[in-house]
Amino acid sequence: MPREAAPKEPALAAQAERIMASFSRGGYEQIAMAVIQPAGPFLDSVGETLRARTYVFVDHHGQEVCLRPDLTIPTCRLHLARHPGGNTLARYCYHGLAFRYQPGGARPTHPTEFRQAGIESFAACDREKEDAAILSLTLEALREAGLEQTQLTIGDLGLFAALLCAIPMPARWRRRLWHHFWRRDSFRRVLMRLTSSEALKAHEMPRDLVGRLDPANPEAAEAIVIEYLERSGLTIYGTRTLPEMTERLLAAAADAREAPLELAAAALIDSLTLVRTPAPQAVRRVSELLRPHKIDIEPALVSFKRRLDLLDSHGVDTRQAQFSAVFGRSLEYYTGFVFQAVSPKLGATNPIASGGRYDGLLTDLGAPHPVPAIGSCIHTERLFAALHGDGP
Amino acid sequence: MSAKFVLALPSKGRLKEDCANMLAEAGLAITKSGSARGYKGTIVHVPEVEVNFVSSSEIAHFLKNGTAHVGVTGEDLLREAVPECADRLNLRAPCGFGYADVVVAVPAWWIDVQRMADLEELAMTFRRRHGRSIRVATKYMNLTQRFFAQHGVSGYRTVESLGATEGAPAAQLAELVVDITTTGATLRANDLRVLNDGVILRSQAHVVSSNAAPWSDHFRAIERELLEALARTKHPDLKSHPLNTRQTSNLNGERDAV
Repeated sequence: MPREAAPKEPALAAQAERIMASFSRGGYEQIAMAVIQPAGPFLDSVGETLRARTYVFVDHHGQEVCLRPDLTIPTCRLHLARHPGGNTLARYCYHGLAFRYQPGGARPTHPTEFRQAGIESFAACDREKEDAAILSLTLEALREAGLEQTQLTIGDLGLFAALLCAIPMPARWRRRLWHHFWRRDSFRRVLMRLTSSEALKAHEMPRDLVGRLDPANPEAAEAIVIEYLERSGLTIYGTRTLPEMTERLLAAAADAREAPLELAAAALIDSLTLVRTPAPQAVRRVSELLRPHKIDIEPALVSFKRRLDLLDSHGVDTRQAQFSAVFGRSLEYYTGFVFQAVSPKLGATNPIASGGRYDGLLTDLGAPHPVPAIGSCIHTERLFAALHGDGP
Repeated sequence: MSAKFVLALPSKGRLKEDCANMLAEAGLAITKSGSARGYKGTIVHVPEVEVNFVSSSEIAHFLKNGTAHVGVTGEDLLREAVPECADRLNLRAPCGFGYADVVVAVPAWWIDVQRMADLEELAMTFRRRHGRSIRVATKYMNLTQRFFAQHGVSGYRTVESLGATEGAPAAQLAELVVDITTTGATLRANDLRVLNDGVILRSQAHVVSSNAAPWSDHFRAIERELLEALARTKHPDLKSHPLNTRQTSNLNGERDAV
């Protein structure tokens, strides 16, 4: 189907003008970025699956580049180009084309090229305050464009991180669970593995070697590993180093001796991933889950409550918002507050606006220290479809 | 619409010889024809068939876009070039030659990495230490992506390698490889080891029909004639294969899994 041409364009432009005017009034500096971006930062933060939906190609210098699939990473790169430390307060807004290959063919709600209007905020230290400001400004821009009614879903990955920290377990298990959090199936598998001493002992590494490593004495381990490699006629080469491998072998040795995670603790982690409730009840629901386990994540719950109050003070009706504890699981770089706004007309598979906190992304892109960061963007073609009648 | 029935065959190497032998046994002797310097030919007994000799990977593309009606090439190349293999192609029969396994191989000294699941854990620790993802050198970008996703491995980057892939880890161009092997000798010579669950595909040459080619009843009859002649040869795989079913590919089931 050919993309609908002329008649829609002026209306879309007028809509964008209203959105961008809201962003500017909010104090966001309007920026523009290159359409063709290096593919590396996208592939590193999203993974190789990005290729399936993104126009990636090799330029004349042999570098892998792409037509930007979204504008958040380009905004981060621009911010880091201006402020290499990243930690300078800045608020940007943009309106520009993004490109996604649509395997099922392009539709009005899933075009191959579309315009995103978004805002990103860096280095604002009062996180909840900034979270609330970003979401309320996004909703205000939607209202300015004419969309009064949206269904709001919010989540907070900070609650999950706090729960992992509060449950006693080795730090490497926390890292493992957090790493797998974004993969629903493997997360469950990893979680269940930690509850079984059999499974913790199971691995296919050389048993005679792992059995000789003492997790309490890591200094001695390297010599034992070197001796094993020499005896087996194996030569160390490539970019990976011996200490890296020794760390994993020691982890396997430690896992085999570790007391497994209590079933009740695993069940608690699992049950938090299932919580869905109207936002005002979220704190109570999560507290009720934790109480029998005598586990306290009070600071994370206080932050959540404070953010809700701030949203209320901005005039956002949080009573109508849904809370989902694992919402935000789809995009690996989110670290805290996440949200999306859906129009009843287009439904939950076609969110009109979405965003979230990504405090780890700037370090991935080269910042020396973590930088508080949150952003939001409006899918302008969907907004237009919601307002002017094209169905999904 | 093409007036000729196009049969695409490998233009060089061992695969070319094996194909020629298979066709000769089936009584489908080929004569080179025309001034195209040996890149065209005809089958003596089936004059409507135009034989095109092209590279094995080109054959996959010919079948994908319908330039050829039938071709012979490796399943590895087909699956790499045609992700939606089951819709675009009919893998009619394995040939019993052109064997090659597509495998995930790591430096042999990585004794902590024995399974695909270890790779995901490794990716996590590698990233923490090096500030970047582990790299996989391969010419099979699509096969790699699908297989790794199937095993829940995500923290990696692929680096396209068009030759001597097995040397990439030693040259520090990548940390591991996805490569083909027949005996494993080349991998061993380069201090690489295949993961215990790291066989992506046990590939061999296949006789393949294209769904994208312009078919007529007459061309279907020619196809049947060719396939039946091949089935009469002593190639056991060809003989046992049910040629009259439309979808004989073992990829169909696998496609759902990836």
